[in-house]
Amino acid sequence: MSQKLPPGLQLEKVDDRIMTLNVGPQHPGSGHMRIILKIDGDYIVHCDPDPGYVHRGEEKMAEYRNYITNIPHLERPVIHDSCNILYPYCLGVEELLGLEVPERAKYLRVIAAELNRCVYTEYWLGIYGIFLGHSTMFMWPVGDRELLIDLLDKMTGARVTHAYFVPGGVRNDVPPNFEDVCLRQVNYFEKRLKEYADIFYDNPILISRTKGTGVLSREDAIKLGTTGSVLRASGVDFDIRKKEPYDVYEELDFQTNVLKEGDSYARSKIPWLDMLESCRIIRDALQKMPKSGSVRIKLKPKPKGGDTEVYHRVESGRGSLGMYIVSNNKPEPYRLKISVPSFRNLIAMPHLLKGELLGNLPPVYWSLNYWPVEADR
Amino acid sequence: MSSADSTEIEKSEDSSPVYEFEKSLSDSISKKFSNVEIAYVKQNRIRVNVKKEEIIDVASFIRDELHFDHAESVSGVDYPKDKQIEVVYHLGSYTDPLLSKQILALATRTQREDNPHPGNDSSKLPSLCDVFPSVSFHERECFEMLGVYFDGNPDNRRLLLPEDWADIPPLRKDFAIKGR
Amino acid sequence: MSVIAPKFRLSYLIKGITDNLFWIIVLMTLLGIPAAMIVLIYIDFPVIDGEIWNPFRVFDAMTHPERALPLVKNFMQTDLFKVVAFPGFGFAALIAAAVIFVERKMLAKLQLRVGPFYCGKVEGILQLMADGLKLISKEIIIPAKADKPLFWAAPVLFAATAAAFVALIPVAPGWVVADIDLGLLAVFAVIGFFPIITILAGWSSNSKFPFIGGIRALFQMVSFEIPLILSLLGIVMLTGTLNLVEIVESQVNFPWIIFMPIGAIVFFICILAELERIPFDLPEAESEIVAGWLTEFSGMMYGLVQLGSYLKLYAFAALFVVLFLGGWNGPWVYPIEPMAEIITDGIVLMPDALVIKDIPGLPLFSQEMINGTIWFVLKTVGVIFFILLPRGVFPRVRIDLLLKIGWYKLIVLAFVNIFIALALVYGGIIGPGGIL
Repeated sequence: MSQKLPPGLQLEKVDDRIMTLNVGPQHPGSGHMRIILKIDGDYIVHCDPDPGYVHRGEEKMAEYRNYITNIPHLERPVIHDSCNILYPYCLGVEELLGLEVPERAKYLRVIAAELNRCVYTEYWLGIYGIFLGHSTMFMWPVGDRELLIDLLDKMTGARVTHAYFVPGGVRNDVPPNFEDVCLRQVNYFEKRLKEYADIFYDNPILISRTKGTGVLSREDAIKLGTTGSVLRASGVDFDIRKKEPYDVYEELDFQTNVLKEGDSYARSKIPWLDMLESCRIIRDALQKMPKSGSVRIKLKPKPKGGDTEVYHRVESGRGSLGMYIVSNNKPEPYRLKISVPSFRNLIAMPHLLKGELLGNLPPVYWSLNYWPVEADR
Repeated sequence: MSSADSTEIEKSEDSSPVYEFEKSLSDSISKKFSNVEIAYVKQNRIRVNVKKEEIIDVASFIRDELHFDHAESVSGVDYPKDKQIEVVYHLGSYTDPLLSKQILALATRTQREDNPHPGNDSSKLPSLCDVFPSVSFHERECFEMLGVYFDGNPDNRRLLLPEDWADIPPLRKDFAIKGR
Repeated sequence: MSVIAPKFRLSYLIKGITDNLFWIIVLMTLLGIPAAMIVLIYIDFPVIDGEIWNPFRVFDAMTHPERALPLVKNFMQTDLFKVVAFPGFGFAALIAAAVIFVERKMLAKLQLRVGPFYCGKVEGILQLMADGLKLISKEIIIPAKADKPLFWAAPVLFAATAAAFVALIPVAPGWVVADIDLGLLAVFAVIGFFPIITILAGWSSNSKFPFIGGIRALFQMVSFEIPLILSLLGIVMLTGTLNLVEIVESQVNFPWIIFMPIGAIVFFICILAELERIPFDLPEAESEIVAGWLTEFSGMMYGLVQLGSYLKLYAFAALFVVLFLGGWNGPWVYPIEPMAEIITDGIVLMPDALVIKDIPGLPLFSQEMINGTIWFVLKTVGVIFFILLPRGVFPRVRIDLLLKIGWYKLIVLAFVNIFIALALVYGGIIGPGGIL
């Protein structure tokens, strides 16, 4: 027997009663990560999430690129929600370089960010439906998402990974009759969203399967540092768009959705309620947007930050996404740390899954609004 | 060392360079602990540099008296010129409505060795897992990416890197990406 | 260098033709002569116009096609026809094929997409044929340490048991493959085979996921068989017979669903569970155990399992129609003209032309049979529609909730149903010697 195992491996004790199950990356029910479960009959005794399947070293690679070429690089962790992951980066770099963003660009940013939030949440809802065996709940959100991706295509030129936000504004202005098309599509989208209640949220089988499972109490949610829809489903009213508003969120009229139960059903309902709020925000922003104006500040070719550091955070589709930039008078950042909500919510997974039935693994695990690619960066 | 004493004007609302509320927070920390250094006081952002022996006391004080209850992120920064690795904890608060905009950056430094043996050399820091339970996964990531061992973290295993990683911790500055 | 079309050589062509001729002659001799002997010795030929039909009359069909009709009619009365074509396998397979296509199309429209579209000129009608051809052409892979005899036998047994179930269902008056006095009991016996076959298939695959799927299927089917049987006891009490044909005949005036609604609902839910359809498709839950007990079956074995599944679907829906909805009873819709004139005067196709009464052998089907078949098919299609619908609407239930439904709630409802039936019988309302 070997005395010294290579670092990272550990020796496993074999127990007659407890079976180790690898819900691995190549499994229809796991996303791109591995969950090591120890089950006793049908009950999960111990859960050990093992992310890192799609780890690429985003933070290290960001140190080799200057502030402008970092933009298409940093949007890759979440390709649908790319505007929201570039948002804190742009806010941070603007603080470092001392830039002032024009009004119209701020409104466009808000609209793009809300559209991205809806696109991501629809995809997440679709996969949630499929994990529970509900194929209609997969087809409807993914089909409705196409409307919004069309809008983003008109706005930015790409369906996903838009690379739309730059420090100093947005990359280009919208086409001429964009406001009417956007308003029409968002109205239709909101009508479709309300139909999800009939087929999914009021469905008795879904309610019996997810209500009361995976309950995260308010104190635990705060102590474990969870964020986003997981936090709001446990009764904590914290949304960065309201608490620390950035860009023009203070002037827009919307509310935060909070539910008290903290079970999987509440966690699956909050993103849907948030999408309804996003529709309101988009309509409001389209109305209040200045009709003309520049959308971008001209930058010097390789801008250099000062000798400081910044930390900014925004509310993305999954929760509060923070970016910590340390710069030292060079065109490349000295250190760039992305604090992703999926990684912060990961700590709730072993806590919640202990003692659950094996059949409850998909609803609880995916209801944590976990996007494996983002958590791995 | 980031000793930013330049007051940067934010792009949005508040333009007075003296931030009263943040100053009151940093004053309460420096009154209780004489050895800490307040790096900067900006709008909604404070930074406190602490030595590693005192970090648990300072963190407990911050949690109990100032009501910061969770960590937003934990990042390690490598300074090969000073031969030190800095670990910065960004702390936020969900419960206190006055503190919902504030983020307090708590920073410590530890020794850096040129040939690292992660877990067995002098880059060690006490873990804040007992004070703030939300940092456990972040500290694991810091351990594998920079080689800083956290005493007291119940689980110092690999998280993101593959099991057969045999090179130096990747976020160090002397780890070069091939081809660049 | 074209290997697909090598150069033409006359000797190869002649060799190919003579090879084919040789094999045709060999097979015709070795197989054809015994077959001809069996036909001539064992099969009874009909008597037409006073003389025994002989095979040479086949040539008659070219000039007088109507002379072949008595032969056809005679053939339709034989058991072989009943098993293979009409109320048996052919009819059921045709309905199963139509059901598969309709299910895919209906689900697609429900989910805002199109469904099969490109195969066949009209909205993908030939999709099923394309799928069948694809399955036949696939390689059948057997896991290394699988139990080979059981593994090969399991899909065949599955399809065979489903076909045995189809054989018990009466479609029209006089048209049933197996007219047994204890028909309903035979149905229960055949249904009892399905869990055994499922778990044999799961066990013989020698792999973890089929094993879990087989066990889940066993739990599910066993726990729902009891309410299934109990809910039908009410009907047996009211009609006093286990023969399916007599049960249908007792519903001439009213279907039993009016008096036994709870039993019908319990039976319907048990059907969904026995067929492993959503919301009860745990044994094939994709997001947890890849494909359940049929993970390791590939190619035509998978096709056989699917065929058996849809035959079972048709058989259960037909059973529901026979027991609760009145079978083939219904108002007269076809043929449109009243009965007696057709028999005496025949049908006139054109003025001064063919009067069908004069042709021996017609009518092929009796009027009651056509009418009965139409009503039976309509009712079965309606029930199948309701079985297919939950697939687009419900997610999957969890195993402990499923077992609670089967063992607690449905058994209680089935007992309530039995008490209602007892009350009706003892109250003298229905049943032997009742008012109705």
